[in-house]
Amino acid sequence: MNGFLIYAGKRFLQFLFVVVTGITLAFLIAHFSPVDPVEQTVSLLTSFGSTDPQSVEILRQSLRELYGTGGPLIDQYFTFWGRVLTGDFGPSLSSFPTPVMTVIGRALPWTVGLLTLATIIAWIIGNLLGALAGYFRNSRLLKLAGIVIMALQPIPTYIIGLSLVILFGFVWPILPISGGAQVNLTPAFNWAFISSVIEHGILPALTLVLVGIGGWFISMRSLVSNIITDDHVVYAELGGVRSSSIFSYYVARNAMLPQVTGLALSLGNVFGGAVIVEFVFNYPGIGKLLISGIYSGDYSLVLGVTTIAIIAVAAAVFVIDIIYPLIDPRVKLG
Amino acid sequence: MKFPRFAAIALLSLAALPAYAQDFIAGIPRNETLIIQGTPQQNADWFNVWAPGGGGSANVNGLQQLTTDTFWFINPEGGPDAWQNALATEPPAYNADFTQMTVKLRKGIYWSDGVEFTSDDVAYTVKTQIDHPGMSWSAPFSVNVASVENPDPQTVIFHLKKPNSRFHTVFTVRWNAAWIMPKHVFEKAGDPLAFKNNPPVSLSAYVLQSYDKAGNWTIWKLRDDWQRTSIGMAAKEPPQVKYVVYRAAGNPEARVIEQRNHNLDVINDMAPEGMFAMMRDSKSVASWLKGFPFAHPDPTLPSVLLNTKKPPFDNKDVRWALALMIDIRAVALGSYRGAANLAALATPPTGSAPDDYYAPMQDWLTNFELDTGSRKIKPYDPNISAQIATMVRGQWGDQIPTDPKQLQRTFGFGWWKQDVQAATELLQKAGFKKSGNQWLKPDGTPFTIRLQVEGDAIPTLARAGTVIAQQWSQNGIATKVDVAGPTNGQRLSTGDYEAAIYWSIETWGGHPDLSFFLDSYHSEFIKPLGQIQPPRNLQRWQDSRLDQIIAKNRSIAFDSPDVTKVGQDFLKLAVEEMPMIPLMAYNKFAPFDTTYWTNYPSAENPYSASGPNWANIRYMVTGLKANPDAPKN
Repeated sequence: MNGFLIYAGKRFLQFLFVVVTGITLAFLIAHFSPVDPVEQTVSLLTSFGSTDPQSVEILRQSLRELYGTGGPLIDQYFTFWGRVLTGDFGPSLSSFPTPVMTVIGRALPWTVGLLTLATIIAWIIGNLLGALAGYFRNSRLLKLAGIVIMALQPIPTYIIGLSLVILFGFVWPILPISGGAQVNLTPAFNWAFISSVIEHGILPALTLVLVGIGGWFISMRSLVSNIITDDHVVYAELGGVRSSSIFSYYVARNAMLPQVTGLALSLGNVFGGAVIVEFVFNYPGIGKLLISGIYSGDYSLVLGVTTIAIIAVAAAVFVIDIIYPLIDPRVKLG
Repeated sequence: MKFPRFAAIALLSLAALPAYAQDFIAGIPRNETLIIQGTPQQNADWFNVWAPGGGGSANVNGLQQLTTDTFWFINPEGGPDAWQNALATEPPAYNADFTQMTVKLRKGIYWSDGVEFTSDDVAYTVKTQIDHPGMSWSAPFSVNVASVENPDPQTVIFHLKKPNSRFHTVFTVRWNAAWIMPKHVFEKAGDPLAFKNNPPVSLSAYVLQSYDKAGNWTIWKLRDDWQRTSIGMAAKEPPQVKYVVYRAAGNPEARVIEQRNHNLDVINDMAPEGMFAMMRDSKSVASWLKGFPFAHPDPTLPSVLLNTKKPPFDNKDVRWALALMIDIRAVALGSYRGAANLAALATPPTGSAPDDYYAPMQDWLTNFELDTGSRKIKPYDPNISAQIATMVRGQWGDQIPTDPKQLQRTFGFGWWKQDVQAATELLQKAGFKKSGNQWLKPDGTPFTIRLQVEGDAIPTLARAGTVIAQQWSQNGIATKVDVAGPTNGQRLSTGDYEAAIYWSIETWGGHPDLSFFLDSYHSEFIKPLGQIQPPRNLQRWQDSRLDQIIAKNRSIAFDSPDVTKVGQDFLKLAVEEMPMIPLMAYNKFAPFDTTYWTNYPSAENPYSASGPNWANIRYMVTGLKANPDAPKN
């Protein structure tokens, strides 16, 4: 047990190091961004209006004061850490004075729901097909599936998304291509709203699944291809163990370990959002929020999103590290 | 069940799904609803248009378009009724030295919660914004207003700090303006900068019905007492649109598809190809111009901005040389596929400008002489627009007008002839030398240019930049296109560019006065490179003759007949100096779906602006007619 505690302690320190480094880098990158939130707001407020230059200068000064974007970088850095530790990222600059966490809180459920589901579906299908393709190497059907998946793999997400939009929105208009739910439907736990959310999520989810399957498929197929030549599998075959048992207990289970790790990391990434897919389908999630924050120079918002994503990924890695010794005795403690 | 049978049943089930389009909005009759393209609202709960909480995006969810009001509107499309009194009963009345402006207000206007609108609301609006820096119009009020008095409920008198013949423009909507605040709501709200104003009390004909907290849609409903608004008092017939949905609809491709599926009646900012495909394939589409190019020209002027504070762009011979290297026909075809409304003058050829400036100045333009150092040339070609029309006639046939006057309104009046020899002479006059196919500056270094474009946000202008960069490069000035993306505005305003495709001129459209941009061109506002230049004059053009023109314009009344003469003096100076190279009007491709609504504004019937983000779209919304052949649902 002592060995496990030392191991867990080391991993926790690693977790802290990754989080601090990641968040510091995110802070610096956001603050060195050439987009100034005050200028963005000035530009929006004066765009198309006949505002005289004197007034614009006064507006600019007022907004700088209001947003509190001035001051030395080091002071802002420590203030920011204070906010991170209390879970408060301050007001969003592009939605001033609404707190960043409120803005993120509105978008996060959409993304978490969509990405979690799509990631798990892609993981199950990709791994299942990959394992079968690696084990039953002569199956024509699985070869065909492999060809299709490999053909989809290099296509950019944007193209797949747009193709689905054109296919199911224009050629055969049976599915909604924009938004998270039907217009004028109030979010509630009733079938009308839930079915509408599902309906609106089909195309973005399908895009993510089509994009996601390839990676799982390829890695699982090669893992299985290697394992079936291992001594214990050959010995089981020679010993007359049933094919299905060899596949389930000797091959697939052994190949699953890195895939589970991958799944955990992917689920951690859920908090970063699916930027392109959300953009294509106008999905009200965290990815679209992040893009909007970058474009408007709202570094409070950008830092809020990236900090949550960094912590989520680092936490996922930490949890995996902690669980590994329990499920794989080959991992050495201490 | 066998698989083929299962598959067949599954397919049949899916075939029943096209009913989706009919159920697009829950709980609202589609045939009473106008659906307009909006933008996603990051701060969907925010309805305070007087504070920056919406990040400016509240401007495109119907809030300023359907619930706010102020004294006057100018229809940017022009026409005899371009000036519209809204909350005011008459145009502004100034005293002799323009230090006092009196406004007479309509009687019988009510807020949507039943409280009467009076001069108290106006006085409160001005005072509150002066007291709260950071509110949207606090700065112009602080700069201009010494005091405001309201001797009776229908009269407001503004005492100004210094003479200003254009103070009324703060309350004059072209795209937006200072909206009047509901005193009875805000005085109980605490800090007006932190107040969400949700739900908003409406001063115009529509009121908030519901909104999406995720920010994808907002629905507005016609007020029961719509007659008690300025828009109601101006309406000749009761508005037929009962509900207005502003909805975010994603990228341009998705917008086109949504309109084809009748889920978006009004869309904006498509690529020309999308517009042409819509006009060719869809029977239910209407557009501003009935024939090619189908576009709607905004009163803005895309130009090649030249940073006059950076050598060699401080030399007018160089600026003219760059203009004469451009073949505008290729730019028109490359950017708008020929659908460009050319502009040789520094004002967009839209609204009343063709009548006020372009037509009267044709003789001057044709006779304008340029000294190349070797000879004098007349660079203007009044026939270039006709040449572009001929180029696209092969594809569009009868859609292209043949009447010269109509051609001018569609393709512009003319532009500068591409004249590489004259450009060569001008560069030589400026001390440049050519080595092989590369121009060298007077100091012997190669003359290269970074030509900045915004990028995907305005694809037509990015394409124009690419064509111009090719033409300059072919003629010995190696030019790279620099895509600025979201940093475009800031780089332009700090002067971190050499040349850029953008606009620094916007006009009222429906009025000849050029003060909308001209006042800010005065040298008193020029900042050194690196500091932020106020909006407009991004090229930092400085000229004592320009200052004199601006001073003259400031001293005359908005509606003085001299306004046009001052405007022409400015345009002549801009041609001589060429501080930016005007290219064309900002043609927007914005089709309307007529399945449910008809009587959209058009070039023949320009009764209103039609852009979804323009506040004066309210006149279009209340002017639409229900299509009697619309699906009944």
